[in-house]
Amino acid sequence: MNTILFEILGAIATILLAFTVGMFYGGARRKIIARIQNRVGPPVYQNFIDVIKLYSKETSIHHGAMQHMGPVFAITASVTSLMFVPVLNGGGWFWFDNLSFSGDLIFLVYMMVFGSLGMALGAGQTGNPNSAIGVTRGLSQMVGYEIPFVMSMVALMTQFHTTSITGMMEIQAQSGTWMMFSNPFAFITAVLAMLGMFHYSPFDIVHAPAEVASGPVSEFGGKYLGLMMSSGSIFAFVKLTLFVNVFMGGASNLIELVVKTFALYMIPVLYGVTSPRYRTEQAITYFWKWPLFFGVISLLWAAF
Amino acid sequence: MYNDKNAQTIVEYIQNFTRKNSLFMLAYGTGCGAIELPATLTSRYDAERLGVRGAATPRQADLLLITGYLSTKTLKRVIRVYEQMQDPKYVIGFGSCTINGGMYWDSYNTIKLLDKYIPVDVYINGCMPRPESVIAGFKELQSLIAAGKADGAAKYKENLEWYRENQKKVLKNWPLVEYNW
Amino acid sequence: MNSLILILILIFGGGIISFLLNKFLPILRDAFVVLVMLAISYLFFTIDHAEQFDFEIGGISLQWGFTYAGYLFGIIVAGLGFLSILYSTAFMKGKDRLGYFYMNFLFSIGAMFGILMSRDLVSLFFFWEIMTWSSYFIVIYSGKEVNGRGLKYILFSAIGAYAMLMAIVILYGFIGSFMLEDVFNSIYALSTGYQIAIAVLLMIGFGVKTAIMPVHVWAPDAYSESPMAYTALFSGALSKMGVFGFALVLFNLVSGQNWLINEIVAWLAAITSVLATFYAVIQKDAKKLLAYSSIAQLGYIVVGLASGTYLGVMAGIFLAVLHAVFKGTLFMAVGAVERQAGTTDMTQVSGLIRKMPWTFFATLISIITLAGIPPLGGFVGKWMLYEALITSDRYYLVIMIFLSSTAAFLYSYRILFGLFLGQEEPEFAHVKEAPLVMLIPMLLLAGISVLTGSFPGLVMQPIQEAMLVLGFENRLPDMDWWQLTVLFNTWGDKVVLQNVMISIMGVFLVALTFITIKGYKKQRYVTTKDISSSGEIIQPEDNMTFQIDFYKPFERAIWPMLKRNIDTYYTEFGNGLEAFFDFVKRIYNGNGQFYAIYVMAFLALLLLAGSEYFGF
Repeated sequence: MNTILFEILGAIATILLAFTVGMFYGGARRKIIARIQNRVGPPVYQNFIDVIKLYSKETSIHHGAMQHMGPVFAITASVTSLMFVPVLNGGGWFWFDNLSFSGDLIFLVYMMVFGSLGMALGAGQTGNPNSAIGVTRGLSQMVGYEIPFVMSMVALMTQFHTTSITGMMEIQAQSGTWMMFSNPFAFITAVLAMLGMFHYSPFDIVHAPAEVASGPVSEFGGKYLGLMMSSGSIFAFVKLTLFVNVFMGGASNLIELVVKTFALYMIPVLYGVTSPRYRTEQAITYFWKWPLFFGVISLLWAAF
Repeated sequence: MYNDKNAQTIVEYIQNFTRKNSLFMLAYGTGCGAIELPATLTSRYDAERLGVRGAATPRQADLLLITGYLSTKTLKRVIRVYEQMQDPKYVIGFGSCTINGGMYWDSYNTIKLLDKYIPVDVYINGCMPRPESVIAGFKELQSLIAAGKADGAAKYKENLEWYRENQKKVLKNWPLVEYNW
Repeated sequence: MNSLILILILIFGGGIISFLLNKFLPILRDAFVVLVMLAISYLFFTIDHAEQFDFEIGGISLQWGFTYAGYLFGIIVAGLGFLSILYSTAFMKGKDRLGYFYMNFLFSIGAMFGILMSRDLVSLFFFWEIMTWSSYFIVIYSGKEVNGRGLKYILFSAIGAYAMLMAIVILYGFIGSFMLEDVFNSIYALSTGYQIAIAVLLMIGFGVKTAIMPVHVWAPDAYSESPMAYTALFSGALSKMGVFGFALVLFNLVSGQNWLINEIVAWLAAITSVLATFYAVIQKDAKKLLAYSSIAQLGYIVVGLASGTYLGVMAGIFLAVLHAVFKGTLFMAVGAVERQAGTTDMTQVSGLIRKMPWTFFATLISIITLAGIPPLGGFVGKWMLYEALITSDRYYLVIMIFLSSTAAFLYSYRILFGLFLGQEEPEFAHVKEAPLVMLIPMLLLAGISVLTGSFPGLVMQPIQEAMLVLGFENRLPDMDWWQLTVLFNTWGDKVVLQNVMISIMGVFLVALTFITIKGYKKQRYVTTKDISSSGEIIQPEDNMTFQIDFYKPFERAIWPMLKRNIDTYYTEFGNGLEAFFDFVKRIYNGNGQFYAIYVMAFLALLLLAGSEYFGF
């Protein structure tokens, strides 16, 4: 009984950590964008204010059960993915060996699309044509970036003969080299895929406020939007931590984790802030050119 | 102070603080005033440092910005948008046209006083109001929210019949959707 | 009496009786077919599957009896057969020529049992033909403007059957026996060329039913033209006969040889699945979409089998079982929509979720299974397939499969959105939920999808038994089916399904409770006409539905791959043949004078050239 209690406490602590870090990263992104545009920008904690406000806002309408459950699916996917990604070297954080021993990369890849599909169902039930357009864009783009991402993952798996994240972290700890150096092309491919994964510009075709009125979330306000913002920041943390674990040897303490993830996070942010938006088919085919080429190279690198 | 009935509880204080510092704005670009908004939001005046940012749809928005004159045709849409927004919601009337019709004061198809149709929390005077005055308007609204006095939505709910009557006077033969939240 | 014979007599006799009953006592017909199928399923599940039946016709000794592999596929046939018969009693209500329909329905179920229990090539071929013809008769059931499509099906089936027949004849010529055991034992005595030829010919025969490229072109039309009650069985079970045949060929005829046949089959199947998925994405009709998706899913199954590793074969057969479950449900659900709303064209029908919530639920569960999203059964199969391919270093194949199953999310969403979500249109306001008899099979099958997600042992242990027959060792731990919840690959990496389920359900329930309780009293339902639309008040007759050109940007992106489809090549081949015969017809124009000129010309040619080349 005691251990279960501790496990749950640890899980909650991990979720809170992910939430806080993700929120601050979002705020930092807004601040950085503002500074690049020569503005003052909102405070770094602006996203917390937004989320608390959204939760305190009334939500007096819903369009049906699926819309109601859409954000729930999203946060389920984020939190479950978080549970299966080792936060620090050797598992979890805060008296909690998380569940990373019981899932592997293939599982995570699938778990990570769970949320967007559930969200797509919720967006579908609102009946707003903009939502549906946003969803079709998002799914199409997913086909684009998942392929290079999986290519780089498969390259690592075949090179090091393990499919689990903990296994890859152990290999890096033993050999002393990060995987971004032992298979550089896989890292390049994965980073290019990450640009699409974060849905920041130039790949922000899903939420494009000026085109499709924020797409899938156009009928979601108040608590729904709040839940989705929370889910989004947890998910950003999950993705970054996964990349750090796989390519950069994980982290042995929280400060190292924050430094590494923040460095990685700057790639999509800085790439995005200077780029306009792609059209949908451009955003798909972008990933089928250079990323695919690097993916093939990384597979060859792994094979020979 | 402790026994003051008007004092806010701690929860209310936090709520008002977040609401004031996070205004999702639906800029309804009705008239010529819309041209002042890009200047307000971009580098020179930067409204985002006050927590004001754009929202794409009324479901996500807290703040409705009526930028300029309203013809009766536009008023239909504005009412609809206002009613689709979720509580708590605020309205800023922007420019002289929303106060007394401005240069359209004797026009046959624009409304004169916006407050007769939807409850306005803050007016920004001027034709055109410069970005400085728009920012001042935001500040004014924020201080109202912090004091818990920006209760336009509650006013609308209480006096719904009066508002509806006024709306129907100018919008003849137009089906207004029932408002019940 | 031997229960194998009993099953066959019951089912073929039942088919004929139901035909007669429809003529004379139509009231009893539905009850009769359901009872017959129930009796057969009961017999099948209580059968001692070591039972055999030997007999001799015309000096050829034949043998019937289930191997465990056959028995496993028989479970699919019996279960799905019973449920789809039950479903069709409600689905086909009020249609005519029901005797014809039920007779062919029962005949094809019987033929499938026959295929699975036959231990010699003659009865295999015999039952294969019965299956082909009875399914052909149902494809042309609706009768109107489908003759071309029915013809395509029977043409390709005939090609497959001839290929099979040729292989059987060659085998008999060399081995002198039709028994499968003899064939498997003495195949290695043949020369390599013959072995390859036999394997290829047999695989063409089985590949037609599995709809592997390039012989898949019949499938989209045939699947979408037959009544949905039958398509559930057609795609769910009948195509699995091809998979069964592939298993026989791959593990008994070509196993252990290094001929790249496995690789070629795997690549063909992978390309099939990618292209079929792309075609499914751009379909407008839900039936067509599911038909293409069936082809894609069968592609995964064959990839799994052809990979030849333990995990791959396990994944292939697991997916085969699950495909029967979820694709059966999906075709049934689409059939329910067709019956209740009148059409399955996704550009017309939309927003049925509040009218048909249970059908939606069954569809949702099956779609999640199809897409392979944890924690349902499809994930288990997909996981094993990926791990099998990765651990056996087939990484480009993995990428193909991954491309296919990521693109599958697109059509998965399309079918849910197209039929059930989106704007609720007034012309579908009258639609009611499907009758209970149709819902029960769907929900039962959806239940199996859910159950296998946490307890794959339920399916994996029978598959293990079947794989022992196919020549694999037992790698499952010795425990009961509900204890088997950890999946391993050969590198020792694992997925603990229990933890996945607990985590997902826990977070889901907590978040759902939170979001429901918060502000519960103030929240109310609004229709899909109450959406943010720049202030416009949407009237009921306003069309706000987004269904046409749903994936246009994606279509533009993949257009280079779809420009030429194989159907066009066949049509061009046909046109070319026609032009050739046109030319031939012009030579044989029926005029005796011309024939005389031909003879003269030929003689003149002989005289001129003959001395040069033939020396006279």
